[in-house]
Amino acid sequence: MNSKKYKYTIITSLIIAFFINFNGFSQELDASNYRMRLSLNSFKQSDNSRMLEVSFIGQNKDDRKDKLPVFDAVIKYYNEDNLLGEAKTSKEGIAQFTVPEGQNYITDENGYINIIAKFEGSEGLEEDDDDIQIKDLFLELNLKEVDSVKTVFVRGFTKDSTGVKTPLEGVTVAVSVGGMFAKRKLEEVIIEDGEFEFEFPTDIPGDVNGDIMVYSTVQNSDDYGTVVQSKSVNWGVFKKETVKEQNQLWSQAAPIWMYIVLTILLLGVWANFLYTIIYLFKINKGGKEIEGEHVTG
Amino acid sequence: MENKKTDKGGSNRRNFLKLGFMSSVSAVAGASIFSSFALPEEEAVESGEKIRLLTPDGKIVEVDATKVNKYPEALVTPEESRIGIPNRKFVMVIDLARCKNARKCVEGCQKGHDLDYNEEFIKVQLLKDNPEGAPYWLPKPCFHCDEPPCVTVCPTGATFKRDDGIVLVDNERCIGCKFCMTSCPYSARIFNWGHKEKFDDESIPYSPETSIPAAEGTVSKCDFCPDLLRQGKLPYCAQSCPMGVIYFGDKNEDIVTNGTDTVSFSKLIKDRGGYRHLEHLGTKPNVYYLPAVNRQFPLERGFDIDPDILNRYKDVPYVQDFIKQGKI
Amino acid sequence: MNLENRKRELAKEFSPLLEKTTIASKVWMGFLIAVILVGIYAFFIQLIKGHIVTGMRDNVVWGIYIINFIFFVCLSYSGAFISGILHFIHTPWKNSVSRIVEIITVLSLIIGPIFILLCIGRLDRLHYLFMYPRIQSPITWDIIAIMTDLVGCFIYLFLTFIPDFAILRDHSEKAAKWRQKVYKFLAIGYQDTPTQRKKLHKITSTMSAMVIALAIVAYSVLAWIFSLTVQPGWDSSIFGPYFIIAGLYSGVAVIIISMYLIRKYYNLESYIRTVHFKGAGIILLVISLLYGYFTFSEYFTRWFSHKVMDTELLETLFTRYFWMFIFANYIGVLVPIVILFFKKIRTIKSITFAAVIAIVGLWFNRYLIVVPTLETPYLPIQDTREEFIHYTATWVEWSLSLTGVAAFILLFILIMKLVPIIPMSGIIDHEREQEKSKKSIK
Repeated sequence: MNSKKYKYTIITSLIIAFFINFNGFSQELDASNYRMRLSLNSFKQSDNSRMLEVSFIGQNKDDRKDKLPVFDAVIKYYNEDNLLGEAKTSKEGIAQFTVPEGQNYITDENGYINIIAKFEGSEGLEEDDDDIQIKDLFLELNLKEVDSVKTVFVRGFTKDSTGVKTPLEGVTVAVSVGGMFAKRKLEEVIIEDGEFEFEFPTDIPGDVNGDIMVYSTVQNSDDYGTVVQSKSVNWGVFKKETVKEQNQLWSQAAPIWMYIVLTILLLGVWANFLYTIIYLFKINKGGKEIEGEHVTG
Repeated sequence: MENKKTDKGGSNRRNFLKLGFMSSVSAVAGASIFSSFALPEEEAVESGEKIRLLTPDGKIVEVDATKVNKYPEALVTPEESRIGIPNRKFVMVIDLARCKNARKCVEGCQKGHDLDYNEEFIKVQLLKDNPEGAPYWLPKPCFHCDEPPCVTVCPTGATFKRDDGIVLVDNERCIGCKFCMTSCPYSARIFNWGHKEKFDDESIPYSPETSIPAAEGTVSKCDFCPDLLRQGKLPYCAQSCPMGVIYFGDKNEDIVTNGTDTVSFSKLIKDRGGYRHLEHLGTKPNVYYLPAVNRQFPLERGFDIDPDILNRYKDVPYVQDFIKQGKI
Repeated sequence: MNLENRKRELAKEFSPLLEKTTIASKVWMGFLIAVILVGIYAFFIQLIKGHIVTGMRDNVVWGIYIINFIFFVCLSYSGAFISGILHFIHTPWKNSVSRIVEIITVLSLIIGPIFILLCIGRLDRLHYLFMYPRIQSPITWDIIAIMTDLVGCFIYLFLTFIPDFAILRDHSEKAAKWRQKVYKFLAIGYQDTPTQRKKLHKITSTMSAMVIALAIVAYSVLAWIFSLTVQPGWDSSIFGPYFIIAGLYSGVAVIIISMYLIRKYYNLESYIRTVHFKGAGIILLVISLLYGYFTFSEYFTRWFSHKVMDTELLETLFTRYFWMFIFANYIGVLVPIVILFFKKIRTIKSITFAAVIAIVGLWFNRYLIVVPTLETPYLPIQDTREEFIHYTATWVEWSLSLTGVAAFILLFILIMKLVPIIPMSGIIDHEREQEKSKKSIK
């Protein structure tokens, strides 16, 4: 009996364990099969604020295409030991935090700002962090008409702790114009001596008012991150539609002559029908009178 | 002896039942624990599609993916949809040199518009212009012509051309006479012949801009996805193409993009010899094609598709040769 | 000739036709009703399950229903045309035929649009055609034309019935009470006084002129539904006249067939005589020559200029539709011509046979106009599903077609029970004319 009880206990616990596991298998898995990747990028925007973007995504160790974003994780941003702020990841695993313009960053001896993004671990996920070292790049974009030639001026420089400006060297800067879906690149130059200029093309329509948004961008540089500067200028040659299509075969209102012809035809025909019917009533009346005569006569 | 046996059988059964009861209780408990992990309801409408996410505690959960549009703000009623997005003139450029019949455009469009397997708003044809030329794959959406023969013949005004160039179909006004289908020279339209369950889906209010849900006995076609355009996104086909074949943009601002490359529309057409199909019919289509020159790979790459779809092209001599040689 | 006596004679002669129904006739009507019931069942199946039960699919979106629609409407227009012309011609034999023609006109104009309704995907939205019409659309023109034509032909038909209703009202004491009431109501007090006669004649003349004009305009509009598109095989400049001639062709053929049947089954040999058949036969001959000429022009010009799309269309016609093409455009045209050409073989039976061949050939000609064009579009049909590439009609469509024909015949029989098929007033008018001319000779 004892051995039988023992057997039953084992069977019971196995079945319970199986059910729990079965439960877990159908609905939950732990993340042990995924390697977590946390990466930090810096975007300096036109108003000189810096957006720090973290992507926190798990990648399946066996199937590299299977990616699992982490949702609602708290990411803390530090500049050295100074806490800048924190943000939560979205459903795509992206957390964005914007540092306002006037922030005084702690720089190291070479002038690099050290920014760290940290995820403080939890029960299921380990602690993870990423850091970047970037210099604060100032990008200036000017659009001026010089000698009746529309020119674009781009200047880039960094400032050291004393405020001395060092011109930018050897970095690719792209100038593009904004469109509804994407930006179209006009020029892409490796900047020398901190500045360059070029002639703005004359065939860009811009928006309905002739305004064009011009962007100068340093994309994914090791030293500076991504820096964007933009300005709007009224150099567009938008051709306004002079003729609005009306009264065509395919518009809502038909060509005028169709209305006229149709009305004439229909009026003619239905007038005749009406005339006929009126005559029928006259015949009817006449017949009734005659019948009346027959009765009385 | 017998009594003992039945006694044991009785206690066995009792034990088993107890076991079953306990395990089911634990299963239910587990389920209820799991459901408490469910994420807060989003205001946006659920699409019925699930995405997998990782919680900060390291657990994998499945959540309803939110639809692209957030209703009710995103709703464009049929009356409003007759007015286009102001100051735009949408145009599409398809680069035939790069198309390899991956059919991702077809699938992306089907997913975005809730279409069945054989319902295609954008079709891929295999054409051979002349005996000496090479056959090429032609993705063919609706061309949203500037002088559309389909709009002219609609007796109720259910299909209309907007100021931004898009031709839409109002499924609430269409009476299903199919005159537009007979007058389109590009065979761009499809018809909903019978009743399908997806027509009864009332979770999303109908708008001609989304073409969802379709209605029985009415006409449907490619709509250039105005609901995505209003959010600054490219149509489903342009987003899905792995080769960047489909460029889309606004002719007024002269920029088209395929998601990666952004170029000037007028330069693209001039430099690459862009043309329109059946130009001589005077429909003035808004989809331009870049000729299939300097093909980057052989045509056979495009035969890697379902056999029933490949069977569609059996009348093209190139395919017939292949079949004869037993290669497919 | 004593007018009243003559009227009484005629009423007595024709009343049995109206009031008595033979057993054979009842059986035949029962059969027709059975066919119609099957059709109604098929209609409900289509209503519930949707158009997927037909053979129409994304490329060939117009099938048997549209073919029947054009066919019946072309019968109607030719009827209108012929009855209008008959009104103005003063021949002795026109009287026996005129009512048959007018009834065909109205009945086919009722049956034809029913087929269009069958082809519409959303019947619950039919009123949108009147709430949001677009007058640039040929379908809107067609709706206006058919409605106007229906009202016009119906009024015209009624005008020709009035004198007969008056005779029946005055001389059918033995008839059932309800019949007498109906006659009284429908005769609208017509007493056949000279003034009334003149008035009636005047409005009938105007209406018949109008009906001729309506017939031409309205049928051209129907032809333009096809020829105003750009599709190969349809964008032909001669579709308007072609359809009118084809309409006349089928109309005369149906007139001949109905003359034959009515003559035989209602024993009206004295009224519908050989001269009618010979006259109709000659008209059919002339029209069939014209019709053959138009058909030949269509296909010859397409073959000669060998444009790509025309070549593909002709290839479809001569491979997939080979036997249909031979029947419709060779046999259907040449056999009637041959039969009608030679005086010796022009008998009543052979003329009717020619008419039957003509009508069946014409139906197939309509099929060959509608379906092959839709099967050879500009951009080739590359579809996985066979039913989307080639059109095959299903039992629902065939059953509804037969229902249309059965309904046509049934309604014809029922009208013949209301009003005599040979206009009595016409007989009297004709005899009055003969007396006048005799008197004037004297």
